[in-house]
Amino acid sequence: MTTEPEPRPSDPPGTSEATEPDASSPSATRDEATGPAQSPVAAPRPAVRWKAAVALTLAAGFGLVAMSWPLLAAPGGALTETSSGPWLFALLLPLVTAVVLLQLTDGGLDARAVAMLGVLSAVVAAVRPFGAGAAGVETVFFLLILAGRVFGPGFGFILGCTGLFASALLTGGVGPWLPYQMFAAAFVALGAGLLPRTPETGTGRTTELAILAVYAAFSSLLYGLLLNLSFWPFAITHGNLAYVPGGGFGENLSRLLAYSLATSLGWDIGRAITTVALVLLTGPLLMRVMRRAARRANWV
Amino acid sequence: MPTPADTTIRPRTALKAARHTTHPVAWWGWALLLATAAGRTANPWLLLLIVAVAGLVVTWCRGSEPWSGAYRVFLVIGLSAIAVRMAFYIVFGGSDGPTVLFSLPSATLPEWAAGFRLGGDVTAEGALAAAYDGLRLATLLVCVGAANALASPRRLLRSVPAALYEVSVAVVVALSVAPQLVESVGRVRRARALRGNTSRTPANLMRTVVSPVLHDALDRSLALAAAMASRGYGRSAGIPVPARRATSAALLIGLIGLCAGAYALLSAATPAPLAWTTVACSAAVSAFGIAFASKRVPHTRYRPDRFGWRDWAIVASGAAAVVGTVLSGILEPAALWPATNPLAVPDLPMWAAGGILLATAPALLAPSSRGGTP
Repeated sequence: MTTEPEPRPSDPPGTSEATEPDASSPSATRDEATGPAQSPVAAPRPAVRWKAAVALTLAAGFGLVAMSWPLLAAPGGALTETSSGPWLFALLLPLVTAVVLLQLTDGGLDARAVAMLGVLSAVVAAVRPFGAGAAGVETVFFLLILAGRVFGPGFGFILGCTGLFASALLTGGVGPWLPYQMFAAAFVALGAGLLPRTPETGTGRTTELAILAVYAAFSSLLYGLLLNLSFWPFAITHGNLAYVPGGGFGENLSRLLAYSLATSLGWDIGRAITTVALVLLTGPLLMRVMRRAARRANWV
Repeated sequence: MPTPADTTIRPRTALKAARHTTHPVAWWGWALLLATAAGRTANPWLLLLIVAVAGLVVTWCRGSEPWSGAYRVFLVIGLSAIAVRMAFYIVFGGSDGPTVLFSLPSATLPEWAAGFRLGGDVTAEGALAAAYDGLRLATLLVCVGAANALASPRRLLRSVPAALYEVSVAVVVALSVAPQLVESVGRVRRARALRGNTSRTPANLMRTVVSPVLHDALDRSLALAAAMASRGYGRSAGIPVPARRATSAALLIGLIGLCAGAYALLSAATPAPLAWTTVACSAAVSAFGIAFASKRVPHTRYRPDRFGWRDWAIVASGAAAVVGTVLSGILEPAALWPATNPLAVPDLPMWAAGGILLATAPALLAPSSRGGTP
């Protein structure tokens, strides 16, 4: 065992002058199977849960608009008359993400959740470069999906944000695309946590794996399409494949499909295949490892 | 690129300079303003000028950290963006003109497949328009690359609002654990080789490398959590309930407002000023909620990062570029969006060029963190 990665005092944005170390008190109501898990939101004040859920729902709606505004903008609407749409949303998305994270962590994440988040984000950041060659972030998704499944939707959302943020910081890949990536990846992990539960039996585990594989394929394709959509008005401005401001839904949809077909469909399909394959191949092992960690985190 | 010779003297000078280096938020502000200026024009002279200005400031002011090479990487990405844009134009067509350079065999897709024409005539005018367009995207990317090269990510992390303390601690943990993972993989593989296991089948690698590394990492996270808890980590106490409610309310109201504003921006029924006001007000309410929550968090800062006059000056020099382009947009709009049909050498808009040249100011204002003289 190596030394503890103790955050140095100069690193965190604010070193907390210790208040009450109540993070270490084990809460009695934890679900043994899924550990701390269940939700980092759980800590001291369960009453905030509905607020986090409301914030997440609103943010999902906002994110959908932020990504698909080229399709949704009605002719004559305010957005079609300016070229500032992508910039506006790229600036507002971090704000919305911060608001949601604040609601999710309201009342304090306990130390276990923070440490687990940190380590899993490091794993995400470490495996991400393996997929950077061809198809974007496809080596990250299986981890996010499995972690979201094991640790629950709230944890999954935060992990999607912190994991992609840490990897961007490590590789110098911070840019206007980062908010979109973080947001979409966070919802991929969140969705995995919301999938129906399966019994702890042999067939139950097989069903779980099958559900996760289907979800992996679906979410990777959707992620590709949405990210494409968010970058489309930037990437090309003339010609048959370009976004037409105020062109209406039908016109722009056919152009978008042609653009996706021409540019990224191969990548998106590659991402879906690799994610499904990785989920199927590594799922049983990784979920066993993470569930063990979740059980141990109960501070016995 | 640093030569091996100056690596020997760097540590001391870098340590000394670290106290005075520019705030990372200032660099991001400067780069994003420069990118905004680039977004407001398609004039190739201006775009190349922006790339040159960014390159100059980066070579002058960057440190010698791992991320300092980002500018070059983004330059390559930008060049490939131009190439992709040209390939799109050649295959899928775009704007046309009378000067045909060469013709490709063309095919028109059927109506159900959007009815596009593939191939066909490639004209000088169209190619030029595509090149300007690609150059604009490349310039935006290069500006982002400049910010990545100049701003220290760790110090940027210190500018995260205090209310997101836990999340940023998680990122800090991630940043320090990631190198240890690499070391852990090396250790596990050495142990495996010593046991005589040289199998290269994926299943075996999963069982004997991936699994131990992950177990190790997760166990380490538990040890870290115990260490944090024993040092008094945790901050939920001390925030009165009304303050907490007020924060939550401000955040939720801001979020609802942002959703409503986004919807208003999309629909044609809402007048544009009303939609923009809604978005601006709700963004302000959300920002206020975050700031309010940050104020309530009892915490101290170790060596706070101050946003000094230099930092303001750097942001202002970026703003000068935007102001210059806006002035040119009012006074000489034709030069900002040069026509490609008929072919002509575009003029250089003076106001915009002047503003962009002012954006080189950081090269003089910010001390090089390498400790060398500029």
